[in-house]
Amino acid sequence: MCSSGAVVNVGHSDPPIKIQNAWINDVPVTHPGAAVDLFIGATLMSETKGMEYGGGHVIEDLIRGKSVDLRATAYGTDCYPRTEVETTITKDDLNQFILLNFRNGYQRYNCAVNGRDETIYTYMGKLLPKYRNATYSGAGEIAPLLNDPDYETIGLGTRIFLCGSQGYVIGEGTQHSPSAGLGTLMVKGDAKKMDAEFIRGATFTGYGTTLYVGLGIPIPLLNIGLAKKAAVRDEEILTDIIDYGIPRRTRPPIRRVSYRELKSGKIEVKGKEVRVSSLSSLEKAQRICEELAGWIRAGDFTLTLPVERMPNVGTAKPMRQTKGSAAFVDSIVHEAVTCSEDEAIEAIAKRLVTRNVNHIVVVDAAGKLTGIVTSWDITKATANGARTLSDIIVRRVYTALPNEPVEVVSKRLAQHNISALPVVDGVQKVLGIVTSEDVAKLVGGDCGG
Amino acid sequence: MLRFDNEKVHDPVTSQVILEEKVLLNIMSAYVNQQGGEILIEVAPADAERVAKAFRSKGVTVDVPKLIEKDDKCTSCGACVSLCPMTALGFGAGKKVELDEARCNGVTCGLCVDACPVRAIRLLG
Repeated sequence: MCSSGAVVNVGHSDPPIKIQNAWINDVPVTHPGAAVDLFIGATLMSETKGMEYGGGHVIEDLIRGKSVDLRATAYGTDCYPRTEVETTITKDDLNQFILLNFRNGYQRYNCAVNGRDETIYTYMGKLLPKYRNATYSGAGEIAPLLNDPDYETIGLGTRIFLCGSQGYVIGEGTQHSPSAGLGTLMVKGDAKKMDAEFIRGATFTGYGTTLYVGLGIPIPLLNIGLAKKAAVRDEEILTDIIDYGIPRRTRPPIRRVSYRELKSGKIEVKGKEVRVSSLSSLEKAQRICEELAGWIRAGDFTLTLPVERMPNVGTAKPMRQTKGSAAFVDSIVHEAVTCSEDEAIEAIAKRLVTRNVNHIVVVDAAGKLTGIVTSWDITKATANGARTLSDIIVRRVYTALPNEPVEVVSKRLAQHNISALPVVDGVQKVLGIVTSEDVAKLVGGDCGG
Repeated sequence: MLRFDNEKVHDPVTSQVILEEKVLLNIMSAYVNQQGGEILIEVAPADAERVAKAFRSKGVTVDVPKLIEKDDKCTSCGACVSLCPMTALGFGAGKKVELDEARCNGVTCGLCVDACPVRAIRLLG
């Protein structure tokens, strides 16, 4: 889970330093407190290796007992005169090394698919175009918060299994949304005692670094009600299939799906059978259950009651945006100059000139997109002696949707080195066109040719 | 993967093998010039050994590219499983992710490689 990290105290140097900027193995770490307290965020990435190594990997390496290189700079004060330091340390050299995850243990999560015609790389993994695969997260019927949905035993102070050691729930996690069935936990534990088998730095290509965290929570069956709730089955746990191809905060769910279907490896999406697999290890989840049960049976782990209950209602709010909200395609789309496939090349050439455009969108009788012709295509056709329009139409057309953010469209133009995108609705009916000039006016920078 | 040196590249070796072995080849990618060439072909598993032998007897270097999964790093998360078009990657006993090498298309596909969060999958060959 990305919202994970570790607090470390690296001890005072001589002369002492009040760290301003610090890096461990070239990963920038933050300095939210006093002189030598650092926070290693899982998603911060190496300045030399980029996405291949990040804060999550630093935490894993430290837990494995590996040496890491610490580099720090400072402005120097009367009490902390030193301005830079470089050293090599292991976890044994740290005063404290505390795993501190501000959002873990998601009750359940979405199932992700991609309706776009290009592969996308997301925090839900690699998603192939046109719903060709699906991914999901969460352990379903063995996920802690699904077994105690009313937060009767899980709360502040609950002792837990955290990465092979004993840790604690220290409250609700960020974005805790119990009313939506999307509860989260904040947890901490002594990372010096953790087992590297249950923690893993990870890279989601094209997205960034993160940290796999092994978390297990014992749920005492104090009464029949709790026993009933803890008997929850995968078929009763539903989540939404979401199209991550839509780059917006709100994405309309395609349909509901149960964890039983997800764990079967195949789901049906828009009439097609789609392979689906998890992103979080079900094998490890099972191992954690067994390990924790073993500790409890051996008397090495005692259960606690929460000191304080967690909120069991409420949902997370979206950001309040007070300045210049993001622009979307529908704010810059303009009328597309169109033609039909049976028109003569000369007529198209004329239209390009009279309408003063570089792109003509080819549509069928129903106004649906069938291709695009640019002024360059016409030039080439003249040079090569092409006779009919159908010889020169570009059929593989990249498009934009009216509700897409302009930044996304700008990226698509640059990626495919093109200068305009027809704007279409859900059934490929042409609504207009956006050009790189329109986008450049808003976004600035290079938007491709 | 077939590799032709600067002499072999002038002979119609691929056509010869097709005619002599009466086998269907699917050319996935090809890069050929005067200095030599590389052609990636796909054949039915039952024909693979025979075709490799035929090409080798004509002086062509034949590599059978495969995916290798490094078990010690794999956490069995499953991020690769849904991507595999050959269902070579799947969950085995105890929900462990397993690779069926015989089904794997190797470098002709490679969809799983950059999807592995712990970089446990590498392409060889």
